[in-house]
Amino acid sequence: MAQIPNLDNAPLNITSLREQSQKELINILKNIRGKKCLIIDPKLGGSLSSIIQTSLLKEHGVELRHLSADPIQTDCTKVVYLLRSQLDLMKFICSNVHNDISKGLQREYYVYFIPRRAVACEKVLEEEKVHHLITIGEYPLYIVPLDEDVLSFELDLAYKESQVDGDTTSLWHIAKAIHKLEFSFGVIPNVRAKGKASVRVADILNRMQAEEPVNSSDMVVPEINTLILLDREVDMVTPMCSQLTYEGLLDEFLRINNGSVELDSSIMGVQQEGKKTKVPLNSSDKLFKEIRDLNFEVVVQILRQKATSMKQDYTEMTTTTQTVSELKDFVRKLNSLPEMTRHINLAQHLSTFTSKPTFLGQLDMEHTIVEAQSYDICFEYIEEMIHKQEPLVNVLRLLILFSVTNSGLPKKQFDYLRRELLHSYGFEHMATLNNLEKAGLFKKQESKSNWLTIKRALQLVVDDTDTANPNDIAYVFSGYAPLSIRLIQHAVRSGWRPIEEILKLLPGPHSETKRGRFSSSPSFDTLQGASVNMDRVADGRRSIVLVVFIGGVTFAEISALRFLSAQEGMAYDLIVGTTKIVSGHTLAETFVEKLG
Amino acid sequence: MANVSVAAEWQLLGDRYYRKPELYQPMRWKHIDLSRNKVACAPFGGPIALIRDDSKIVQLYAESALRKLRIFNSAGLLLSDTVWKNPGGRLIGLSWTDDQTLVCIVQDGTVYRYTVHAEPLEPNLSILGREHFDENVVECVFWGNGVVCFTETCKVFSISDFKNPVPVRLADPAPVPTETEELPHCVAVIEPQYTMSGNVEVLLSIGDAVVMVEEDEVQPLQLPPGDGPLQKMVVSGNGRFVASFTHDGRMAVYSTRFEKIFEYQCESALPPEQLAWCGLDSVLLYWDDMLLMVGPSDEPVRYLYDEPIVLIPECDGVRILSNTSMEFLQLVPNSTVSIFKIGSTSPAALLFDALDHFDRRSAKADENLRLIRSSLPEAVEACVDAAGHEFDVSRQRTLLRAASYGQAFCSNFQRDRIQEMCRTLRVLNAVCSPEIGIPLSIQQYKLLTPSVLIGRLINAHQHLLSLRIAEYLGMNQEVVIMHWACSKITASSAISDATLLEILLDKLKLCKGISYAAVAAHADKNGRRRLAAMLVEHEPRSSKQVPLLLSIGEEDTALTKATESGDTDLVYLVLFHIWQKRQPLEFFGTIQARTLARDLFITYARCHKHEFLKDFFLSTGQLQEVAFLLWKESWELGKNPMASKGSPLHGPRIKLIEKAQNLFSETKEHTFESKAAEEHAKLLRMQHELEVTTKQAIFVDSSISDTIRTCIVLGNHRAAVKVRTEFKVSEKRWYWLKIFALATIRDWDALEKFSKEKRPPIGYRPFVEACIEAEEKGEALKYIPKIADPRERAESYARIGMAKEAADAASQAKDGELLGRLKLTFAQNAAASSIFDTLRDRLSFQGVS
Repeated sequence: MAQIPNLDNAPLNITSLREQSQKELINILKNIRGKKCLIIDPKLGGSLSSIIQTSLLKEHGVELRHLSADPIQTDCTKVVYLLRSQLDLMKFICSNVHNDISKGLQREYYVYFIPRRAVACEKVLEEEKVHHLITIGEYPLYIVPLDEDVLSFELDLAYKESQVDGDTTSLWHIAKAIHKLEFSFGVIPNVRAKGKASVRVADILNRMQAEEPVNSSDMVVPEINTLILLDREVDMVTPMCSQLTYEGLLDEFLRINNGSVELDSSIMGVQQEGKKTKVPLNSSDKLFKEIRDLNFEVVVQILRQKATSMKQDYTEMTTTTQTVSELKDFVRKLNSLPEMTRHINLAQHLSTFTSKPTFLGQLDMEHTIVEAQSYDICFEYIEEMIHKQEPLVNVLRLLILFSVTNSGLPKKQFDYLRRELLHSYGFEHMATLNNLEKAGLFKKQESKSNWLTIKRALQLVVDDTDTANPNDIAYVFSGYAPLSIRLIQHAVRSGWRPIEEILKLLPGPHSETKRGRFSSSPSFDTLQGASVNMDRVADGRRSIVLVVFIGGVTFAEISALRFLSAQEGMAYDLIVGTTKIVSGHTLAETFVEKLG
Repeated sequence: MANVSVAAEWQLLGDRYYRKPELYQPMRWKHIDLSRNKVACAPFGGPIALIRDDSKIVQLYAESALRKLRIFNSAGLLLSDTVWKNPGGRLIGLSWTDDQTLVCIVQDGTVYRYTVHAEPLEPNLSILGREHFDENVVECVFWGNGVVCFTETCKVFSISDFKNPVPVRLADPAPVPTETEELPHCVAVIEPQYTMSGNVEVLLSIGDAVVMVEEDEVQPLQLPPGDGPLQKMVVSGNGRFVASFTHDGRMAVYSTRFEKIFEYQCESALPPEQLAWCGLDSVLLYWDDMLLMVGPSDEPVRYLYDEPIVLIPECDGVRILSNTSMEFLQLVPNSTVSIFKIGSTSPAALLFDALDHFDRRSAKADENLRLIRSSLPEAVEACVDAAGHEFDVSRQRTLLRAASYGQAFCSNFQRDRIQEMCRTLRVLNAVCSPEIGIPLSIQQYKLLTPSVLIGRLINAHQHLLSLRIAEYLGMNQEVVIMHWACSKITASSAISDATLLEILLDKLKLCKGISYAAVAAHADKNGRRRLAAMLVEHEPRSSKQVPLLLSIGEEDTALTKATESGDTDLVYLVLFHIWQKRQPLEFFGTIQARTLARDLFITYARCHKHEFLKDFFLSTGQLQEVAFLLWKESWELGKNPMASKGSPLHGPRIKLIEKAQNLFSETKEHTFESKAAEEHAKLLRMQHELEVTTKQAIFVDSSISDTIRTCIVLGNHRAAVKVRTEFKVSEKRWYWLKIFALATIRDWDALEKFSKEKRPPIGYRPFVEACIEAEEKGEALKYIPKIADPRERAESYARIGMAKEAADAASQAKDGELLGRLKLTFAQNAAASSIFDTLRDRLSFQGVS
C-alpha cells in the first residue's frame, strides 16, 4: 500500500532523512535480541506508518501493541515502549510494570523516548519506583516527511502547550529539527520570524549553531536559502475558516490522518457493508497531485470534463480506426482510470456535505465575520448555535474567529456567552474557557480591533475571485486570502521591512537575521535583486525557502503556498515545515478540556 | 662496510636468525642490583618498578631500613618513589596492568595500587574477599588486567579486571589427591581472551598432575607419562601453547590440553629461575649466569651473563633487563635478513649496495640497479620495512635513503609509504630517547596503537611530547589538552584563580569544541569552586554547563542558563535539583520569579503532585488556581463509585465546589468563575433531588440545558420550569430547548400549544426546523407561513420540497441570488427549475427598470 509517500520528486533530498529514521528504528529493534513486544503510544502510529512499513517491524520479531493502562497481553519477555516524552504517558508504563510485578512476571523493559529522553518523565518513573527496572534510550525522530514538500515535526499539542501552559518544550524540538536539517543541507543564511514563539525558535537555533556548529565550509551553497518562521498565533483567523480546496475539504469532513482518509468501503464503490477502507492521499497519486490544491468547485468540473473526454475517447475507439500511437494514448488514459474513479467517489461523497444548508450557512457566517461589518448578526448566529447545542467544537471555531477579529468581546457579551456555554455544555467546560482565554482566543475586549486595518492593508478580502483561473491565493477560501500566506508572500518577495507597520499590529515581535558565512556580507540584503545568481544552486534547480508554521498549518494554506511556488517569476521552491497538519476542528479540539 | 658486521651479531637457531640489539647501555640508574629486588616490568616498553625483596636476606648498605618502592622508565630514569609502609605481611607479587597501574599483592590478600607517579590509588581491596580474611596468599600470577592467586590452603582466587575489581573465588582444586598437603609446584594462566568460556583458566601443577581450574569447575588434564611433576610453566603469548620444565630436566612444549609438541633435554635438572616465550618461535630458560634459547631444532643458543637479568616478554621478542643494560632479543625480520645476510643477492641487498656505490660515486650503482630493475618495488619495500625494525637511527637513515634512492627509479611505488615510515620512526625514536624511555618496536607500536601511546605519555605527564605527536600524526589533541588542564589545576594550588584561568584558557582555546565543563568539574573536585565557576562560564554547550553549575552549587545561575538555552529538559533538571535541596517556601519563591520554570513546575505538578501544587498556589496567593484544582477534585470525587449517583455522598462534592466558589470570590477578577461555581453547586443539589424524586440516575453531571430537556422529555414540566427560573434561563434558550425536547418525544400538540402561548421570541423558524428534523413535513407546514422573513420562509419551503411556494416567497424578498441558489437545490426537477428561471428573469427585469 502506498501509505509511505513517494519523495523522489522532492526539491530537497528528504528521502535520506526518512531512511535515516528508518535505520535508527531498526537498529533499536536489532539491539534488543529476540522476540519483543513493541508498545507505541497511539498518537505515534500515524507518524511511524509514514516512516516504516509494519511488515518491516514484524521482520524484526516485533509484536505491536498500543499503549494503555491495561495489563500487557503478550508472551514476550522483552517489552519495548516507543513513546513521545510526554508526562501523562508515564502512568501507563508504571501501571503496566506494577501489574507485571504483582503477577510475578519478570520482564525486561525498554523505554525509547521520541525524540529524546526527558528528565521530568524519568522523574515520574523514579517516583513510581520502576525506573531501575527499565533500560532507557531515545529515538531521535524529529522530522516526519509527509509529502514531497511537507515536513511535520509531529507535535500535536505544541500550540496549546506553549500558549496555555507556558511549556515551550516544543520550541526547542522545532529548533532541533531545523538544526538537523542544517546538518544535511547547510546553514540557512536568512531567517525571518514573526511571533513570539518564532523569534524564540530563531534564537534557540542560533544558540544551537554556536554550541554545535554545522561546518558550513563543506557546502558551497546552502540548499535552503531562507527560513520563514510564523506563529499560528499571528493568524488564528485562517484555520478557523472552512477550507475550500479539495484536500482541505477532505480534511474538514473526513479527517486526513497522516496522509490518508478512512471511510466506509461503500463510498468507494466496494460493496462490503461496514468495512472501512483507507485511501492514501499524497503526491504519488498523479491525479490527486493535480487537483488537491484546487478549489473544490473547480475539482468537480475537472473531474466531469475528464470523465466526458474519456467517454468520448471510448466511443471513438469503437467506431473509427486508430493509429497505434493513438491507441497507446488511449491505453495510457485508461491506466488513470482507478485514480479517476477514486476521486469521483470522494468528490461525490464530499458534495453531500457541501450542499447541506448548515454548511452553506456556516460559510456565509465565516465570511460575514471576516468582513467584520455586521457584529450583531454574527453575535446572534453564535448565540443561536449555543442555544441549539450544536457540537461544541463547531461553536468554538466561530467563536474564536469572532473574538479574534474583534480582538475580544465587550465584557458583558463575553460573560453572557460564557454563561450560555456553561449552561448548555456543562460546567466542566470552565477549563476549556479558561484555556481559550489564556491563549487569547476567546477573551474580554481590551483594545480596539485592528482587523479592519490589517484586512484592508493586506487585501485579505478579494471580491472578484475566479476560482477556476485564480490569480491570487484568495481562491483557496473563495474570496478570503489567508493572512498567514499573505505575510509569507511578502516575506519571500521583499522581507519584513516594507510591511513592518502591519506586522506591528499583529501579535508578537518579528525578527530578520543573517547567519553563517553571510552574516557579515551586506550585499546579501534582499532575496532577489543583484544576487539572484547566488540563490541558484549550481545545477539550475531553484533554491529553497523553508516555511515553518509553529502551531500547525492547514491544507488550504499549503495549497496557497504551492500556488505561490508555481507562479511565474517565483525564484524559489517552497517547502513547508509544521508542528502538525491542523484544521480549525483539530486546533479547537486541543483546547477543549474538561475539568472532570 | 657495515654489511658484514650487521649479520655478524646474529645467532642462528635452527634456520632462523636472532639478534639482541642494545636499547639502553648503560642504564641511567646507579647502584641497582636486580637480585636484591622484586621487579615488575611493564610490557610495551613500560615502566619498571623495584622494591627490595623481603623474602631474601640482603645486606643493607648506606640506606634506610624502610623499603622504598621506586619506579623507573625503561632507560632506568627514576620517575617516582615512595616509602613502602603497607601492612599485611610480605609482598607476594607486583605487576603492571594494561593501563599502567602498579598492582601489589601482600600476604593477607590486600591489593595496593599505585600510579606511575607512585601515588597510591584508593581504595585498597582484598583479593580474598571478606570471608577468607585469615588465609595467606603464597603465589600470584598476573596477566593483562587480571590476577590469580592461591593460598596456603590451596584456595584459588582471581580478579579478572582491575578496572572493575571484583574478587572471585574459583573452584577448589582439592579433589586431586594431595597426600602431604603439598602446594602446587607452579601456576600458569590462560587469559580470558583465549578461552572458550571467556573466563580465566588456571593451570596448576599439583603432584604429578596438572589441573585446570575455572570459576565453577576443576578439570584434571592428562600429562604424558613420566613428565610430571612440572616445575615451571608459562603460557605463550597467543594462549595456545604451554612451555614447561619437567622434574627431570626437560623443557617441553605442550598444547594447552597437554599434548606434547616438542621437548629438549637440558643439561641441568635444576629448574630455571625464569622461563619465558620469545615471540612464538622460541623459549628462553635462565639459570644463574646462563640464558638458554631453545627453538625447534637440536642446537640451542647460549648467552652468558655475569649479572642478574630479568626477562620481559613482548609480543615480538623479549627485553632483557640487567643491572647495566636493556637489550631486545628478537627474531631478525625477513626484510633485514634479505638485506644483510652474508652473501645475500636479493634485490633489496643489491639496492642497499647500490646506494653504497652511489655514495662513493661508483658506476657500479647503475649496474646493480639494472640487475634488479624488474623487482625494484619489492626491494624498496624491503628497505622501508627493514628501516622500521631498526633501533639504530643511523641505520634507519641509511635504509630509508636506500629506499628513496630506489624509489626514484620506479614509477609505480606508493610514494607515501616512505613518508609514513619516516613519520612512524620519528615518533618511535622520540619516545625511545632515554628521557622518555619507552622503547617500542614497530610491531609493538602498531599493536599498542598511537592513541594508547599518547594516553600513556599523558599519564606520565609528558604533555608537550604527546601534544606534538598528536599534532604530527593529525590526531585529536583534545584528550591531551584536557588532561594537561586537569593536571595543571591539580599541580597549581599556589596560583591564584584569575592567573590560572588565563593560563588554562590560553591552551584550551587551541582545541575547538573542548569541554570547558569537564575542566571546571575537575577544578571543583580540587576544591577550587571559584575557578570552576569562571571556567564553566566559557562552556558553550548549555547541556554540559548546567549540570556542572548545579554540582558547584550555583543553582540560580544554572536556572538562568537553562532558561536561556530554551532546553526545557535542562530547566527541569535544575528544577528537580532545587526542589530537592530547598525548603518548599524557598523553592516556591525561586520559581515564582521565573516564568518558564514556574510553568514547567505547574505542568509537572498538575500531572503528579497535586497537593504540592496546591501549596504552591496558596503560598503565592493564586487563590483562583487553587479553586480550579478543588473544582477539578470535585469531579474526581464524582467518579468515585462510593459517591455514586443519587446517594447523599454528593455532599462532599458540593462542599468542595463551594470552597472553590469562596476562593474565587476572594478576587474581583473572578466573579464570573465564582458565580459559575455557585450555580454548579446549586445545579448538583437540584439534580440530586430530581434523581431522588424520579428514581432515575440520569441527571447528575448533565448541563443545565440538558437537565431542562430531560425534564420535559420525562413530562415533568414543573421541574423544568423550576430549573429554568432557578438559573434564570433566558427566554430565547428556553424556547429552543422546549421546542426540541417536545419534538424529540413527538408531542406535536404540545408543540403547537407552546407556539400559541405567545408570540415566540425566536420566531417560528425553530419550530419549522424541529419538525423538519423529525421529518414531519405536515407539522412544519403549520409554522412556515408564520415566518416573518420571506427569505427564511422561502428556504423553509425549499427544504420540504415545495418549489412553487419557495419561489413565491423568494420573489417577495426580491433576492435574485437566493433564487439562483434555490434553483440549484431543485436542479433535478425540471419543472421547478423553470419556475425559478421565470421568476428570476422577472426580478432582474425589475432591477433594470
